[in-house]
Amino acid sequence: MEKKVAVVNGGAGGIGRAVVRRLGEAGYALFILDKNEQAGGETLEELRQQGYQADYHVVELTNAAEIKTLFAAIQREAGRIDLLVNLAGGTLHKHPVQEFPLAEWIEVLNVNLKATFLCCQAVCKLMRERKAGVIINTSSNFGITGGAGRTAYAASKAAVIAFTKSLALEMAPHGVRVNAIAPGLTATARVMGGYDKAEWQRRARQIPMGRAAHPSDIAEGVAFLASDDAGYTTGQTLHVNGGMIFN
Amino acid sequence: MKMGRLENRVAIVTGAGQGIGRAIALGMAREGASIFIADINAANAATVKQEITAQGGRAGALCSDISEEQSVRAMVDVALKEFQRIDILVNNAGMFPTSPVEEMQEEEWDRVIGTNLVGTFLCSKAVVPHLLAQRSGRIISLTSGRAFQGAKNGAHYAASKAGIIGFSKSLALELAPHGITVNVLCPGITDTSQPRGHQTEEQIYSQGQRIPLGRIGQPEDLVGPTIFLASDAARFITGQTILANGGGIMW
Repeated sequence: MEKKVAVVNGGAGGIGRAVVRRLGEAGYALFILDKNEQAGGETLEELRQQGYQADYHVVELTNAAEIKTLFAAIQREAGRIDLLVNLAGGTLHKHPVQEFPLAEWIEVLNVNLKATFLCCQAVCKLMRERKAGVIINTSSNFGITGGAGRTAYAASKAAVIAFTKSLALEMAPHGVRVNAIAPGLTATARVMGGYDKAEWQRRARQIPMGRAAHPSDIAEGVAFLASDDAGYTTGQTLHVNGGMIFN
Repeated sequence: MKMGRLENRVAIVTGAGQGIGRAIALGMAREGASIFIADINAANAATVKQEITAQGGRAGALCSDISEEQSVRAMVDVALKEFQRIDILVNNAGMFPTSPVEEMQEEEWDRVIGTNLVGTFLCSKAVVPHLLAQRSGRIISLTSGRAFQGAKNGAHYAASKAGIIGFSKSLALELAPHGITVNVLCPGITDTSQPRGHQTEEQIYSQGQRIPLGRIGQPEDLVGPTIFLASDAARFITGQTILANGGGIMW
């Protein structure tokens, strides 16, 4: 394949769709992984209508064997993987800690943290051999600030940052960059659905820039980290949050 | 005799059988706290219990696996039975095996996250109802410089230790309305058995040269900050990470 190849895990979600659109525009051939088949199909259709080269695979991101097989298949088909963007995840469960069932706590960790580890692991050998590649993981403002009821989500998102720094150290000698993006409050259907309208507007107004992030704001950050403009940047976390938190 | 800063308090210290945990247990006992030593190594736990008793303190000990919810429940039950209350939890127990991510076995990943991060969650979860009931309490969890800088061949360890910080900030927000504080303590490289698994003696001590205070940490360096965070003096401090590392990382 002549084109650069990007694998975007969670590529059909609220932020994911903006990211794949932006990466299509940047000239990448796209492999979208998402567990939501309907959203995956819609995203694929939209990208193809725009004339972008795109493919979609449904995947259960906590199944290590499935991930391994899928990435091997993509590698065979595309011959290269230049960019991995790990966007899949979410808060999933919110409970006070004393009521948080262990199984749900671990599920949050698996979706946000372990899946990131497994997908990175699946591409790092290939990227190391090609002496090129970029990995972008997703953290969150909650990984820095914590959130009441979000002990699991905050732990997983803080952990993604340290995981990213560690992998950056391991991959730096091989020409592979690994960074994280940390969106703040972002206007996706899923996030907005968690608030009534007045509460959403109040929260958005509290942000220094006076609005929540649009998914395209996050996509621009991803595109920057993926590009050669960020060629000397590794192990960093890019906060795209309108000044909501500083780190 | 001078009153200790932790008089009439009961503290559970996980991983108190050796290293930093042992030093914290001995130090808090000197300030008047009753110490419940939870360690996966029963013999080490018993030895530290004896050391505390020998210096005139009160201590209990139990062989505990913090990665197992049942074992954690037993730890809290036995501590309550022995001392009738729990005021302080020090989440110190942890492990640090090494592998590059590319070769890391899923089982090893699960074991490190399961002990360092999930274990901290489980111990905290188990004591929270008791702290809530008495509307006071302290949770202090140990992180690592690796949480900030990453660990080559220790991605799981770094992830788990950063996870502890995110977890602690969240728990601090949950418990703040109830007068309970949750903080994190961050040592630098410390003169314990932990770094000896993967570094020579010379490598360990030579790192003191690049630490502003000119030496690597001793377990005793963590005692003062722990007592401070556990005491009334720190009643308005929550959700913070206190670095006691000779200036090795300034964050």
